[in-house]
Amino acid sequence: MKRKSVETEYMEDRAALYRSLAKLDRRSFLKVSAAAAGAVLAKGLVPPHSFAPVSVAQGAEAAGADKPAFRFAYISDSHLYERKINDRFVRALLRAVEDVNALDPQPDFVFYGGDLAQLGQAAELELGAQILKSVKAPLKMMVGEHDWYLDMGERWRKLFGKPTYSWDHKGVHFVVLMSVMERDFWTKRGLTPMERMTTVAGLDNGMQSPFMVGEKQRQWLKNDLSRLADNTPLIVFSHSPLYKLYKNWNFWTDDAEEVQAILKRFENVVVIHGHTHQLLTNRIGNIHFHGLLSTAWPWPYAPQGMPELTIQMSRPDPFNPNDGCGDGEVLVHVDGLIDKVYNLWNRNPITVAKGYTASSGTKCIPPKPNRPGY
Amino acid sequence: MSPDARKALVVLVSVLIAVGIWGCAEQVETDQAPKALVQTHMAQWQRKNPDRAAQWIKEEKARHKIRPPADNRHLLTGDQGKGHVYGSYTERDILMWARETEKLVVEGSRIFHSAKLLGGTVGVSCDMCHPDAANTHPETYPKFQAQMGRVALLRDMVNWCIEHPVRGKGLAADDPRMRALEAYITAQRKGTPLEYGKH
Amino acid sequence: MIFRNAPRRLTASTTIGVVLLAMLCGASALAEPAGGVPRDAHGAARPEYQLRQLAKLVGSADQAGVPPGFDPQVWAAFVPADNATTPERIALGRKLYFEKRLSRDGTVSCATCHDVTRGFTDQRKVSEGIGGKLGTRNAPTVLNTALLQTLFLDGRSPTLDHQARMPITNPIEMGMPDEAAAVKAIASDASYQKAFKAAYGRDVNFQDIGRAMGVFERTLVFIDSPFRRFLTGEAKAVSADVKAGWDLFNGKARCVTCHPMNLSNPLGTDNRFHNIGVSARHQDFNSLARRALKALKADPSEKKLDELALSTEMGELGRFMVTKNRSDIGAFRTSLLLNVGITGPYMHDGSLPTLWDVMDHYNKGGEANAFLDGGVEPLALTEREIDQVVAFMFSLTDDRFAAENRRQFALQKAAASKSRKFRDDDLAFRRKIAFESRGAK
Repeated sequence: MKRKSVETEYMEDRAALYRSLAKLDRRSFLKVSAAAAGAVLAKGLVPPHSFAPVSVAQGAEAAGADKPAFRFAYISDSHLYERKINDRFVRALLRAVEDVNALDPQPDFVFYGGDLAQLGQAAELELGAQILKSVKAPLKMMVGEHDWYLDMGERWRKLFGKPTYSWDHKGVHFVVLMSVMERDFWTKRGLTPMERMTTVAGLDNGMQSPFMVGEKQRQWLKNDLSRLADNTPLIVFSHSPLYKLYKNWNFWTDDAEEVQAILKRFENVVVIHGHTHQLLTNRIGNIHFHGLLSTAWPWPYAPQGMPELTIQMSRPDPFNPNDGCGDGEVLVHVDGLIDKVYNLWNRNPITVAKGYTASSGTKCIPPKPNRPGY
Repeated sequence: MSPDARKALVVLVSVLIAVGIWGCAEQVETDQAPKALVQTHMAQWQRKNPDRAAQWIKEEKARHKIRPPADNRHLLTGDQGKGHVYGSYTERDILMWARETEKLVVEGSRIFHSAKLLGGTVGVSCDMCHPDAANTHPETYPKFQAQMGRVALLRDMVNWCIEHPVRGKGLAADDPRMRALEAYITAQRKGTPLEYGKH
Repeated sequence: MIFRNAPRRLTASTTIGVVLLAMLCGASALAEPAGGVPRDAHGAARPEYQLRQLAKLVGSADQAGVPPGFDPQVWAAFVPADNATTPERIALGRKLYFEKRLSRDGTVSCATCHDVTRGFTDQRKVSEGIGGKLGTRNAPTVLNTALLQTLFLDGRSPTLDHQARMPITNPIEMGMPDEAAAVKAIASDASYQKAFKAAYGRDVNFQDIGRAMGVFERTLVFIDSPFRRFLTGEAKAVSADVKAGWDLFNGKARCVTCHPMNLSNPLGTDNRFHNIGVSARHQDFNSLARRALKALKADPSEKKLDELALSTEMGELGRFMVTKNRSDIGAFRTSLLLNVGITGPYMHDGSLPTLWDVMDHYNKGGEANAFLDGGVEPLALTEREIDQVVAFMFSLTDDRFAAENRRQFALQKAAASKSRKFRDDDLAFRRKIAFESRGAK
């Protein structure tokens, strides 16, 4: 007997609600969203904005004094397989999309940090593209090594366009780099595309080359930035960290110094990177580095080379497959520095405020972990 | 003894012998099972790839860093060992120990890095959460693991991971794959002090 | 053991089952068999009847000592320093447990919703207090609560002694306007004056009311189930299905992750708070949380929290109301599993009538929501496996409640065979993925 479960009925109600919202004429819709925005302002709520928990991390409270100019959200490192192979990763990405769509008010855009697919398969990339279509805010994509090395980016370019690009938004210049280039290690070994992909897919697989940005892109970057004044707020997205953390796991960019040299003249530069699947904070001169969370699984912290500024997230509990994973937001201030919000699933969010990296770790210190990594 | 009693005794003894043989046969059968399994992976692969059989250790080591076993050459020094049967060791002994130990560890690395060899059904391999066996902390077992409802050894945790994140079937304790995995995981933590019970 | 009786009762239970189904659609719980138990206000058994049953249950055991089979050192950790167990305190606590004068209209005592004859709960979806007012929470059982680390389903009470006082002044439970009124209600009774002096050497006072009841509740340790006998080595104590259920509990069904059960901790709870999605079925957490923060800021008292938890939909936020941590939204304490067979309906709002419904809820991976505990995943359990885990759960009931356990098993089985509202095989077997209908396929 086919019965509608309570859950199906509930889902149908929700779907109907969304449909009815979509049908609101523009004026009523604006009224609704304005009312919501007004209510938020009236309460003096500090972002993160779904609501402000009282016992939020110290970072966010300190940041409250200096309101950000705008916000964007991020989702990263979903490592999708086809759903019939692995439903867990698909569920996690769907959950992240739901998180981001539930943000109120909505962020200016949603940034995807790379590694949408796990093995670069067309089916994986297309599944990811389809899921991300339901993100309400404008979407900005970045490529990771798992997306690239099966067909050297052919499918990615078809789906998402150029891997390297830039744009301006509310006075901030944004750059997206393809920073997981690798020197050819596959031709002389006679590897098939799949063998190349599985080699790169292994974080600890020593056969691959270190990541790099490469001469061509460095040149492009120099040109792209040439017209900007030194005091332009600059945010660079990169899949690899753009500094040298741990070579064995390619938490590494081989030409990091050269890239940093190009960025050196700017007052405030923020680099936001994927690949590391963990809370990571660093500062080298004028550049403030922040890592993105993964929706699929957390990496352990590297045994060497950890930046001093990083206060690690508490070691994830394997009995909860979502622990240590999540999504998050970035609060961008007028000067271009950011508060980085890690929305860890089933944990309180952690905010690494601009005051923390700006003061080289003496102010706005995020909470310490109680469970150390091994 | 009366003829009836003798007959009864013969029947009794035959029954006992039969049961004994059957029991032993069972025992032998059970002993053979894990040995047969040893054939499955390494030997099978070697048969299928005769030209690469010698290469597989080299290939695996090219992909993944393996910490070498302890250096036993100090056993070759000292005068007491010379010319005796017991208490003396040769260079070939030491070489063989190293090679065999390393083979098991390298085999473990192969399984560790392969969703297929683990028997998983969701494309997840151990290195996806434990690159270079990081965060496996074998030196902290045995410890009471509430979420398993008992005191866990390393192999219990390995099996838990195989059953849940990897969504495969748990391995028997004497399964060659389990032995190889334990060897690899322990090897990667060479030098870390034992701290059982640490959470 | 349990199952040998089931076939004989099948016809009777089917009839009862049909009647029950009609009742299930309403707010009330599975009904008791007609006749036999003298009833009182709000459906509770009469106090004298309950006391007789209680005397039969505890027998002549020395209640002031460590419960049999318990590690004395572990037990000592559960007894507060200022409230050691003495026979006088037990007697006083028991008297207060049944004391209806502690309610504003004189109809409700602790025993009303924590009835000796109904698993020390009321076997109702949500409880009924003074004036017939219904709350929003299912009453947890008093059995074995001595072993919990926090009390109430959202853990807002740190000790038994503290928790026992709260319902007295809650407006929809026992409804006393304040502590003084509660004390006044019994202070002029000479027997209470004598009892308090004997127990604590003090006059009647509100704190000691709680303490005495705490002492009484601490004597209600009922852990001698067939399963415990199996764990201590009696292989034949449980059926093969129960053993299979135990294996599933520790393996494929993942129950042990939050419901650890072993000889040191037989309770079957991790004492932590998890959002498994039950509260997510009905509301929008974000706006609810905003309202809750506002209300709690306006009145941060413990009494207000107690009211909000039981009388408003903000109670669905669970642990969040206590800690205001975002990770606690919609999270409730993992229930203890001992005697779970006789303490239905299940979940914080009593929304799951049978243990089969509970299994359906977990099997499909709970209810998708932004704060769902990641440990709740679709389990792909087959019908037979579900039956085995349910059989295991029914084996966790203390032998002294075996008759009630058999009765509940029959009732639940009949009800479950008619209606499995929470079942979703597409989600359970991962053909459909949670969150999916809201996004792309």
